[in-house]
Amino acid sequence: MDRPNGITVANPLTLLDKYLGIVLQLVGQATIMFLQTMRYIFRGELSLSEAFRQANMIGLGSLYVVGVTGLFTGFAMSLQISKELAAFGADTAVGGVVALALIREIGPITAGVMVAGRVGSAMAAELSSMVVSEQIDALKIMRVDPVQFLVVPRFLAALVMMPALSIYSMFLGLGGAIFIAQAKANIPPETFLDSVKQTVVGTDFITHIIKSLVFATIIIFFSCSIGLSARGGAEDVGHATTRAVVWTMTIIFIVNYIITALSPLHAS
Amino acid sequence: MTSQPIPPSSLPSFSKASEPMIKVEGLRKSFNGREVLKGISFEVFPGEMLAIIGPSGCGKSTLLKLITGLLEPDAGKITLNSEQIGLVFQGSALLNSLTVRENLALALRERKLPKREQDKAIMEDLTLVGLADYIDSFPTQLSGGQQKRTSFARAIVNDPQIILYDEPTTGLDPVMSTVIEDYMIELEKQLHAAGIVVTHQFSTWTRTAHRAILLNQGVVVWEGKPHEALNSTNPYIIQFAKATREGPMLAGKV
Ligand SMILES: Nc1ncnc2c1ncn2[C@@H]1O[C@H](COP(=O)(O)OP(=O)(O)O)[C@@H](O)[C@H]1O
Ligand SMILES: [Mg+2]
Repeated sequence: MDRPNGITVANPLTLLDKYLGIVLQLVGQATIMFLQTMRYIFRGELSLSEAFRQANMIGLGSLYVVGVTGLFTGFAMSLQISKELAAFGADTAVGGVVALALIREIGPITAGVMVAGRVGSAMAAELSSMVVSEQIDALKIMRVDPVQFLVVPRFLAALVMMPALSIYSMFLGLGGAIFIAQAKANIPPETFLDSVKQTVVGTDFITHIIKSLVFATIIIFFSCSIGLSARGGAEDVGHATTRAVVWTMTIIFIVNYIITALSPLHAS
Repeated sequence: MTSQPIPPSSLPSFSKASEPMIKVEGLRKSFNGREVLKGISFEVFPGEMLAIIGPSGCGKSTLLKLITGLLEPDAGKITLNSEQIGLVFQGSALLNSLTVRENLALALRERKLPKREQDKAIMEDLTLVGLADYIDSFPTQLSGGQQKRTSFARAIVNDPQIILYDEPTTGLDPVMSTVIEDYMIELEKQLHAAGIVVTHQFSTWTRTAHRAILLNQGVVVWEGKPHEALNSTNPYIIQFAKATREGPMLAGKV
């Protein structure tokens, strides 16, 4: 039954069927776009100046939100963990526990989600409005591939900027965690950092970087393929933007779990 | 406005002796099970301008997208005698992230001209539409009329043999419409290309085209010379040209 607000009440199985179709179509589109992009990159058919411009936009556009969320995540985690562990007299473990969580899990995913919200939505909006205003058709008439012209530079830019933003967010989070541990649980920064050094190993950073690269890939290809497959009028720009944010965030959470499960510590 | 006398045609002449530049036969196209074009056929010769007229939503833009290959027909055949096609989009469709110069350079990209020659071609082209001073502006810094003229410049920078206009004057004020129509006539003289202009604006199809076809409900319902339109006995063209409610075309459907 269709309601005026567009919400449809349907048999759950039909719904499952419908969503499975949408998921497969989206993943298929994004995968094809990824392969096309890789082909251009391997052939060296790319515009570095446009990639640089995009990197600038991604970096500057996200610096603030990623920094603030990283800092406050560090505050909250440190407050929670240092109080709990101090109660058991395990003050010396606080730094390690907080740092591990920030480096492996919370850091990459908060940065990923913020960049998805900030950059993914902007790209979906930009590309879908280019469809609506026939700029994409104009490119095709001039025999310019929209993937080469628009997606390749965005992907290159995100591959560089996403790890940088993620690490920056993680360090702000650690700084925030050290501050709160001292202010609220009297754990001196030296004790905190000693614990970090004893617990964190190189592969934790590698996991962090891998996650941020994978999230960058998800954000770019889902946002761009959703943007470029928009049809029709101006309201489609709004739909595309919402869809891009919802889908990239959901997929980031799912893929985050998969990478964690596959990482050396857990895979055994 | 529609009862004004049609201005005497000062269009350049053309000959039907050669092969048609554009040949469309039995073209059909459906969207989501609804047939928008139900078998359209026509020819356009070099130097000729054909107007495709009809109410909004009758499939005019779809027809141009089929001709340019942006859409695939369900049935029918399109034969083009040249690969050099210029399309002036309904909404200008300039790339907002590029300057006017870069927009034109993108259109010239496949020619791989040396930088000096490319700049010269771009400059000549912009001078023709009176926008040489705006070469390094971004589209968003231009007025609507200037954007339209820039998209003209982009469409002709490759000296196309086929030029297509999608509602070039819709939404412009009457003075700017006349300016654009004058450019179209000027280009017909300079390029001698085969042209199609899609429009529902009376002055545009009566001033710029040698011949017009009227679409309604997916079929051609009238074909003739613009100056014959008002004297025709065909009820469709009478209704369309006089813009009356009475007639076979249903206003409620659009
Ligand atoms: N890509 C598309 N998908 C679905 N319907 C479309 C598409 N393009 C055009 N249509 C429909 O086809 C009809 C003709 O559209 P169009 O060619 O833009 O008309 P016109 O240019 O004459 O105003 C309209 O009803 C429009 O909604
Ligand atoms: Mg149209």
